[in-house]
Amino acid sequence: MPKKYDTPLLDELEKGPYPSFVTEIKKAAETSDMSADALGQIEKSYRDKIPYWKHGGIVGVLGYGGGVIGRYSSLPEEFPNIAHFHTVRINQPSGFFYTTKALREICDIWDKYGSGLTNMHGSTGDIIFLGTDTANLEAIFAEFSSRGWDLGGSGSAMRTPSCCIGPARCEWANIDTLDICYQLTQEFQDELHRPAWPYKFKVKVAGCATDCVAAIARADCSIIGTWKGPILVDQDEVKNYAKGGMNIAAEIVRMCPTGCMSYKNGELKVADEDCNRCMHCIAKMTKALRPSGERGAAILLGSKAPIVVGSLLSWVVVPFIKAEPPYDELKEMIRNIIEWWDEHAKPRERIGELIEVKGMRSLLEYIGVDPQPQQIKHPRKDPFIFFTDEDFEKVYTKDKV
Amino acid sequence: MEKEELKEKVYAYMLKYKGKKKLKEKDVCKGVSGEAGIGADEVKKALREMIDAGKLMYSYAGGASSVEIPSEEYLREKGLI
Amino acid sequence: MSLPQRQTDIGPPHYEHFLPPVIKKNYGKWKYHEVLTPGTMVHVAESGDKIWTVRVASPRILSTVTIREISDIADNHCGGHIRFTTRNNIEFLVSDEEKLAPLIEELKEKGYVVGGIGPRISNVIHTQGWIHCHGAATDASGLVKAMMDEMFEYFTTKELPNKVRLAVACCVNMCGAVHCSDIALVALHTKVPVIDHEKLKNTCEIPTIIASCPTAAISPDPAKKSVKIKESKCMYCGNCFTVCPAINIHDAERDGIAIVVGGKIGSLRSDPKFSKLAYTFFYNDPPRWPKVIAAVKNILNTYAANARKHERVGEWIERIGWEKFFKMTNIPFTFQHIDDFTFMRETMRTAATFKW
Repeated sequence: MPKKYDTPLLDELEKGPYPSFVTEIKKAAETSDMSADALGQIEKSYRDKIPYWKHGGIVGVLGYGGGVIGRYSSLPEEFPNIAHFHTVRINQPSGFFYTTKALREICDIWDKYGSGLTNMHGSTGDIIFLGTDTANLEAIFAEFSSRGWDLGGSGSAMRTPSCCIGPARCEWANIDTLDICYQLTQEFQDELHRPAWPYKFKVKVAGCATDCVAAIARADCSIIGTWKGPILVDQDEVKNYAKGGMNIAAEIVRMCPTGCMSYKNGELKVADEDCNRCMHCIAKMTKALRPSGERGAAILLGSKAPIVVGSLLSWVVVPFIKAEPPYDELKEMIRNIIEWWDEHAKPRERIGELIEVKGMRSLLEYIGVDPQPQQIKHPRKDPFIFFTDEDFEKVYTKDKV
Repeated sequence: MEKEELKEKVYAYMLKYKGKKKLKEKDVCKGVSGEAGIGADEVKKALREMIDAGKLMYSYAGGASSVEIPSEEYLREKGLI
Repeated sequence: MSLPQRQTDIGPPHYEHFLPPVIKKNYGKWKYHEVLTPGTMVHVAESGDKIWTVRVASPRILSTVTIREISDIADNHCGGHIRFTTRNNIEFLVSDEEKLAPLIEELKEKGYVVGGIGPRISNVIHTQGWIHCHGAATDASGLVKAMMDEMFEYFTTKELPNKVRLAVACCVNMCGAVHCSDIALVALHTKVPVIDHEKLKNTCEIPTIIASCPTAAISPDPAKKSVKIKESKCMYCGNCFTVCPAINIHDAERDGIAIVVGGKIGSLRSDPKFSKLAYTFFYNDPPRWPKVIAAVKNILNTYAANARKHERVGEWIERIGWEKFFKMTNIPFTFQHIDDFTFMRETMRTAATFKW
């Protein structure tokens, strides 16, 4: 029987209607010595207002350089069962779909070798298995991989790509986010498991500008589905929305950021050449409005959290790229982008930071993408302009300007 | 150059920097390639074989990954000694 | 005991193995969807096939006991299929309307909370906190639980002008990408780190530590074979602590929480936005952080009472102006609200037009 700790502070967090993480840890602690000690240590953190974990250390499986995050208690005498409490990241299936058979299988492995605690899922997308001992790592990897699961990314590597639910259950998906995510994950297996880059590189795939996977804020490479054709309008369904109480003038037309819509005599019109594809009208009137025509993806680069020089949202680099199987063009583009970064970045420098240092031109030239107004909010406002001699030989020749 | 000889060169290179500088995979490939006059790709292949066999290992500290010579503890845990 | 033969570089299982039959059949051919209740929606395919989704809250940290229980529920009603959302909700999917009511009944009977769809609060994105991280300045799971107990009806029933995305980050690393949320809590260290010079000498690379500082506050200390930190330049980001365990950033009495507001991810109506500072600092007050939760409620209630339909928190604030936001919410405006890191230029007002 695992040890029972007194946890008066954590017990408070079992009260109230929302599901409680404390209850989950207690469930695991009924059979797991590790989870029991974890509960004890977390109670101590609640009392002392400080974490009791050491910096991560070097642990992993033979041949791989990532997928396991070393975690050690700083109080191993007091909590001996969490002297080691490593995290194992397992690469999630695209779209976070599971069969119960698969879920039970991974639970069996984790009950045998770990704490019985998981995160479904971690911030990047992996299934997170919280808490195991170094001695179990090879066995855990053999058990998972022999059943078709592989480790996710960590360290200075390709991180586990993730995606929105896309065409599996969403009418707005302009690209097959699940397949692109799967194919890119397969394409970069070596780089995902063997950290050889300056720092982490995250890829997220969203089917439209609603961006349910937060690609634009949380991925070095944000792939966001878009389209080029007009918005198709089903006027009968427009009437149904009006009948149902929607104030189309106020909620749709006046909220359109480009003012490209009009609503007269019960008819909704879109001036498609002025639409910037923000998704507001389509999202609110999904029965009546839908995109049409050519589909593809925009590639935006650079987003990250604040460390170290401030948070970034991704910048439009490739406004439109075809994203159809076998995705050769997309894969090559991403490889070239990474190659440029790998060549120039300092240790721990993300691609967004490097673009600021080296300049967008350096990247665009390397990957062969032309400058386009779709990439910017506005052109430069200062007159400090760099020219190369080549610019005068090719672009600003006397016959042209 | 024989692969075993190349691996010895890689190992010697790692020894030279042990405890002095954290080396990334690319640093080792470039460094050994320059010293031995062999393509970096070939060095990478040798390096990978050494990592797979536990002669070298990936490491992680201070927020970044590197390659290093494994500790005895690591070798014991992997059943290699 | 012999282990199975391991495989390497196989990647995740192919998602097709896990898709429910109705999804496989109608993949990429969905026509529209309708939100039926705060916790259910139906997607209709071009073929006329339908799939109903029931969304359930999750604390993200799940025991295998619970995963087995939700698997049993999915076996009973969903043909053995289940999924999770990017915000860590659990979703049960049925292709037959008759299965919907018994599914919801069993979920409620077993204590699961159904909701989170449409213009309301969904599950909270958060980080590991004291549960599993060495750098945490607070506990993320505890804050989420305390906050959602108070916001509960906005998950299960009540409507807001638009969805409100909440997030909690247990330090400024923001593993949960708090920086683009409607309302987010971010834990801060507020004291210059303390250096263990003896330990530093033996465990850390000095050039790496110096390079890690975004404000160039760290310089070599040759006498001690260590480094020194210029106090006036340090803004407690903890990046030096990340690269060197001999530098301690934790301070139980001075670690605390800021509240940032107005961020968004989607491009609907207006471009994605960063969250900006609203409340500067609260002391850690576990297990329920009552002042922090009251402050979140204040922002949420002011938004709910004043925003126009479909406006996100950030869009509402930009329409009314930040000066009016501070006035309406009674949030004290401090020196800390004015950027003195590197973004002052773009955050100061450059027009003599404002409200009182």
